[in-house]
This record gives sequence, structure tokens and C-alpha cells, in this order.
Amino acid sequence: MKGTWVAMLRGYVWVKLIGGEPEKFLNAVTTERITLWNISFTREGNLMFGVSIPDFFRLRPLLRANGSRTRIISRHGLPFRMARLSRRKTFAVGMLAFIAALFILSTLVWNVKIEGNSTIPEEKIRAAARAEGIYAYQWSFRMQDAASLSLRLARHLPEAAWIGVDKTGTSITITVIDSTKPEQKPLEGPRHLIAKADAVITRVVAENGRPKVERNDRVRKGDVLISGVLGDGAHSKLVVSKGKVMGLVWHEYRIASPLVTKSKSFTGVSQNRNYLLIGNRALQISGYRGQSYADSQTRTTLHRAQLWNRLLPFGTMKEHELEVVETEKKLTPAEAKEAGLKQAREELLARCGKDAMIKAENILHEHTENGKVLLTVLFEVEQSIEVERPIG
Amino acid sequence: MMRVSRRLRKWTATILDLPQDVVLDLPRVTMIGGLQLTVENHRGVLHFSPQSLRLAMDNGEMEVTGQDLVIRNIGAEEVFVEGKILGVQLHPKK
Repeated sequence: MKGTWVAMLRGYVWVKLIGGEPEKFLNAVTTERITLWNISFTREGNLMFGVSIPDFFRLRPLLRANGSRTRIISRHGLPFRMARLSRRKTFAVGMLAFIAALFILSTLVWNVKIEGNSTIPEEKIRAAARAEGIYAYQWSFRMQDAASLSLRLARHLPEAAWIGVDKTGTSITITVIDSTKPEQKPLEGPRHLIAKADAVITRVVAENGRPKVERNDRVRKGDVLISGVLGDGAHSKLVVSKGKVMGLVWHEYRIASPLVTKSKSFTGVSQNRNYLLIGNRALQISGYRGQSYADSQTRTTLHRAQLWNRLLPFGTMKEHELEVVETEKKLTPAEAKEAGLKQAREELLARCGKDAMIKAENILHEHTENGKVLLTVLFEVEQSIEVERPIG
Repeated sequence: MMRVSRRLRKWTATILDLPQDVVLDLPRVTMIGGLQLTVENHRGVLHFSPQSLRLAMDNGEMEVTGQDLVIRNIGAEEVFVEGKILGVQLHPKK
């Protein structure tokens, strides 16, 4: 008995020998090189042994010569088990069906994953993959190999720089790498840069085009600062002029600043009222004993009952009423003037662009009248003065 | 003639200090306690019962006595016996 599992695979039987001479039989067996194992005697004095199925059939001529018979006591091993299985048809069919189902299901594609955080919408990638036959519950043998699939997918998605298709078992991973595109610049026609106000130039930075002005030049509104025409006469070329021209610009401001300012502030006194909402009606529940304020602000918060994501016509409403008091503040003419100037400066800087800087301010005229301080101020602002003008 | 060759073999075995079973084709008996017994180079089974096993040898017989003897494995050259072995006797041919 070499290796139990080999014996199990070939199948073996326990056999009883009846009649004949056991010694002669044993000698005959050994000369025929038939292996028997566990040769022993039963109580009745019969020889009992185990023998594999192919060897059992080789025993026959020996038995005949010896004048003995065999009786099989028990059968073991795979061949007998298979025979028993073949008797139970449905069981065998079920077992085969299971193996077949396992095989068939393992040839299906179960899921398609898309990786690589691409800007291409996933639906588009999926649609392209579907067109190439990559989708869930597809037979994997109907698909081409990964290399040609990724090539064909790339043809569907020209936006992607690289597409990889990887099939591991029943899942397919599509990796999409975006191609980086240069930023799209708006189309620009040839142009000049001209002055948008009368100014004295402080700085000229020309990126493209020919500067026509220099530092400390005085320009009028509409003068060409950087020309978009290169060359002269017959040999000229139009370009998109670019650059930055800073200049001192004067702004005259009339300011009226009141001497009395009014401001509202909370006194800190407040009261709450709660309502129950039914339909479009509100029933007050609490807060009946509140005072009425001379001036107040009310903040309302509404809570509608919700069933999953449907609003119901019931709810609660909370009103928070805060008392407000209006305070008057009297300013001295100097304070009023400072407040007016401050406001004017902020307005000016907001209007002149982010790189504007106030270089000087001169109060030309100042007088107080009807509770207001009236001012006329001249601001000198350094700001960018260029504006584009297309040529032709 | 046989006698001469046997003598020659015996002489070479003693001169070259070789194990005798290799040279002389004698049975080799390996016994593990009183439980297992392996006999190599036997010449067939003469008698087998749960109490005794007689094996033929080139030069006589060998008898294994015991209780509940079982031949675990038998081949053309060797026998593997298991059981409660009580004795091993050799009966050389006179």
C-alpha cells in the first residue's frame, strides 16, 4: 500500500480467500508481483487481505490454479464512489451544474472600475468602454486583449493622454490619465495702448509694441502710449501691444460730510415668541406677555416638519425680537472733514484699480453750511492709465 | 563447483570486510521490538497462520512465531510482518 491517497484513487477491496492453500496462493502472488497488504486470518481461518482493483483482476488465474474463490468484504476508493454517484443522477447533475456555473460566472466581467482622477466625466469613459464592449456582465472572451482595447479606447477619448485597461480575474480597471492642455488665451487683435486720462507718466513697462512716451511726459486722454505698429512706412507690422503705463492723474472731489450721524444699535433687550404652523396659519404658543418696543428688529426662523425629503404643512416658527435704539452722534467740523476725506480716499482707490496709490491731496475749498462740511479736494493718484484700442 | 564458488565468495567477504548478506545472498532480518519484522531475501511462504509464519530460505527455513501475525506487505524479496512476535527460529538444512 504505497501512499494511502494513491490507493484511494485507484480503489481497493478487502477480500477473503475461501478454499485452497493460502501458502501456495501467497507464493504465487509474490512471484506475479501483485501487492497485497494487511494479510491476516479471520476467526474462521480464512486469509483476508487488501488488494487494489487492477491487481484484483490479475488474481483470477492464480485463484483458478489454486482452486479457491474470493469474497469481497468491502470496497473503498474513488471508482466505487463514482459508481455510487452515477446511481444518484440528480446529485451528479447538480455537481456538474455547479462546476459549470462556477466556470461560466468566472468568465463574466463583474465590475468595471475607472481610476485616475480625470476631468473626463466618468459617464463618457463608461460610454466609450461600452462601445468597445467593456461593461459589467459581459463575457470576457468576447473582449479583445487589454492592449488593443486600451488603444481603441484612446481613439474614443482623444482628451486622455494615456488609457490603460487591466483585467484581473472578473474585474476590469480602466486607468485614464489626462493630457495637460495649455490654458486657452482669448484671441487678441493688433492694438495700441492709449491713455484713459490726462496724466504725467511715471513708469512705462512695454512687453510688446513700441513705447511712444517716456517718464515725466505729459499725456492727454487718448494719446497713444504703446504703439502696436512696428517698423515704418512700407516695412511695418501690426502687433498686439502689451504693457503697463503708470501715471499721475488728478481727481477733483466734492465732499459733503454731515456734522450729525445717526446709527442704530441693539440695546440688548429681546423677547422670543413661538408659533405653531398649520398650513399657512401661525398659532402663537408662547411670548404673550412681551412688551412692545418703540423700534425693533425681528428675526424669524422657520422649521417645517419633514418626512424623508417631503415637506409637511406643519411646523414651528420662532421670532426673536430685538430692541433697537437710534443714537445720534455730533461731530466737530474737523472730525466731519476727516470722515469725509477717508470715505473719499476709499472710493477713489476702489475706482482707480488695485495698483493705484494716492500721492498727494490738496483741499481747495472748505466751508460749513446747513449742518454739513462741504469740501473740494484735489487728489493726485498714481495709477495705471493704459487702455486698449484696436488698430484699424 | 557450487561449493567452490561459495567458498570463494565467503573468502572475499572476509578479506574485504563486506557484510555477509550482500555477498552471500542471505536473508536479512530486521526486527523492531516485538512488533514489526522485516525479512529480506526470502524464497517464499511455506506456511502462514496467526501463530506462525514459515519462510523458505536458500539454506533451510525460518520460522516466526507469535500471536495475531499479519503480513503487512509481501513482495518477491521481502516480507513485512506485524503482530506480537514471540520468536524467530532458524532451521538450517542439514
